[in-house]
Amino acid sequence: MATTAVTSAGIASEAPRSDFGHVLAQRERRFAAALLAPAFLALLATTTFPLLFLVYTSAFRMDLAMPFTNGFVGFENYQMLLSDERFWTSLLVSLVYTGSTVALQVIIGLALALLVMDMKRGQGWFRVIAILPVVLSPAVVGMIWRTFMLAPEFGIVDFLAINAGLGSKNWLGDPTLAMVSVIAIHTWQWTPFAFMVLLASLASLPEDIYEAARLDRASAWQRFRRITLPLLRPAIVMVIIMRTMVALTAFAAIFTVTAGGPGTATEILNLYAYRKSFTELSIGYGSALAVALLIVTIIISGILFAMRRAK
Amino acid sequence: MTAKRLRIITLLAISMVFLLAWAFPIVWSVLNSLKTDSDVLAYPPKLVFAPTLDAYRDVLFGSGSILPNLLSSVIISVGTTVVTMLMAVPAAYALARLRFRGKKFAGFYVLATQMLPPVGIIIPYFLVLRNIGWIDTYQGIILIYLSFSLPFAIWLLVSYFEDIPFEMEEAAYLDGASRLKTLWRIIIPQVRGGIAVTIVFVFLNAWNEFLFAVVLSGNTVRPVTVAMFNFVSVEQTLWAKLAAVSVLAMLPVVVLGVVAQKHIVKGLTVGAVKGGGRR
Repeated sequence: MATTAVTSAGIASEAPRSDFGHVLAQRERRFAAALLAPAFLALLATTTFPLLFLVYTSAFRMDLAMPFTNGFVGFENYQMLLSDERFWTSLLVSLVYTGSTVALQVIIGLALALLVMDMKRGQGWFRVIAILPVVLSPAVVGMIWRTFMLAPEFGIVDFLAINAGLGSKNWLGDPTLAMVSVIAIHTWQWTPFAFMVLLASLASLPEDIYEAARLDRASAWQRFRRITLPLLRPAIVMVIIMRTMVALTAFAAIFTVTAGGPGTATEILNLYAYRKSFTELSIGYGSALAVALLIVTIIISGILFAMRRAK
Repeated sequence: MTAKRLRIITLLAISMVFLLAWAFPIVWSVLNSLKTDSDVLAYPPKLVFAPTLDAYRDVLFGSGSILPNLLSSVIISVGTTVVTMLMAVPAAYALARLRFRGKKFAGFYVLATQMLPPVGIIIPYFLVLRNIGWIDTYQGIILIYLSFSLPFAIWLLVSYFEDIPFEMEEAAYLDGASRLKTLWRIIIPQVRGGIAVTIVFVFLNAWNEFLFAVVLSGNTVRPVTVAMFNFVSVEQTLWAKLAAVSVLAMLPVVVLGVVAQKHIVKGLTVGAVKGGGRR
């Protein structure tokens, strides 16, 4: 709109045009700065400053339980981290948790979206029910699953397992089952998200391509491979990116269900950093772990964004 | 013909299983909240029982009532939403409609702040808030909530601002309306829907947040998601009460979610299609 104003000023006389334009551009800049200032100051204070401070604290020994041992240690926390078996375990747990939940969400979500897309009636039910898990607090979800769903000899899942002849299982007490359980819970909560986004993307695909494909007698599978998948690719990649970011830093559901246990079986890196800092009160080392998580996040998002641009 | 019918029946069965799987844990919690403790513990699980509101009466008005926690949740969520919107609307407008140097960088900065792991933010934040005595205060929690609500709100709003035709602003501007007046009178009404969706999202995220709340809450300010833990201890679980608290914690977000259902999907897809968004 500034351009329009400049041109209309320019019609009146040639000479002051650039001046006026300059003034307008300057005014626009000032206006923009004024509008952006509050939000950017808040973002600086709540994200950038803590980040810098985090890197700073990671160079200290900062033990709230034993303050007399505190002091600058340089890279010592990071050296410790490299030989810390619990760190490597938590990194592995993080990657397994993230990889499996994202894959499950996308595969089930896409399959279900394709299925529902074909339904003439009942789509509305899906849309309403699917919204429920997505809006719930992960902490509440974790609590419900831990008690009413997975508790041995009481939860519905265990009830079904007993009736299916599998017998009662210690869903959250057995290391492997606990991992399966937290993956299942995360998948339960977030598959509807992938489903809704992919369903919306499917609905926006042009119908005439499918008509043409049908006339060419392309099979359903061919239509899926050759048309749907390529056209859906941007949406799928975006869902993967968004879900990966969230899964990597998931906290509440695992915290409420297993608190990282039994032992460290479900302790994702995020949870380890939390436990180190706020349960064991080693804030310096916890900071180093958080920095490591940030680096892992950056690397993975870098790979995913490169994937997005490729092709 | 029968093959087609078989296919339809299979599809129907699969979809029923998924609908049931998604709805069940929520429905089951609601049912349990209407039972007595002995009915909750009955084996096999009881589907038919005499419903009672005792659990709700106890958690709301009994000793250790969660009313203060519900109030905390409301204050935190509404406070976060108001502050976020006051900052995000102008910022999003500037990013979407104005030209200035460094705009690309500003947009990238907002996007990048979303990638920070919350656990990395809370450690330094905790140290600072402890020093200035802001642990267990509303301002402390609301301030830190801006770290995730602002980037999300700005990106969502930018996508709505970008949809307005430029001609509207031009016309108002040429009529002599000031910039601020144009924004307030012409632009804002155009994106009312987008602002409403953003408000819903920001409120939901604030209501559901847990990590920051766990670290920063105390006896004065403790949202319901954290207070819920009082009902589960090593010695005993107060089953019906826990169910009632869960339902109360779910209620606002489920109502909002179902009412704003269409818009939420649109909000989610805006993120997926245009590349912003969190959660």
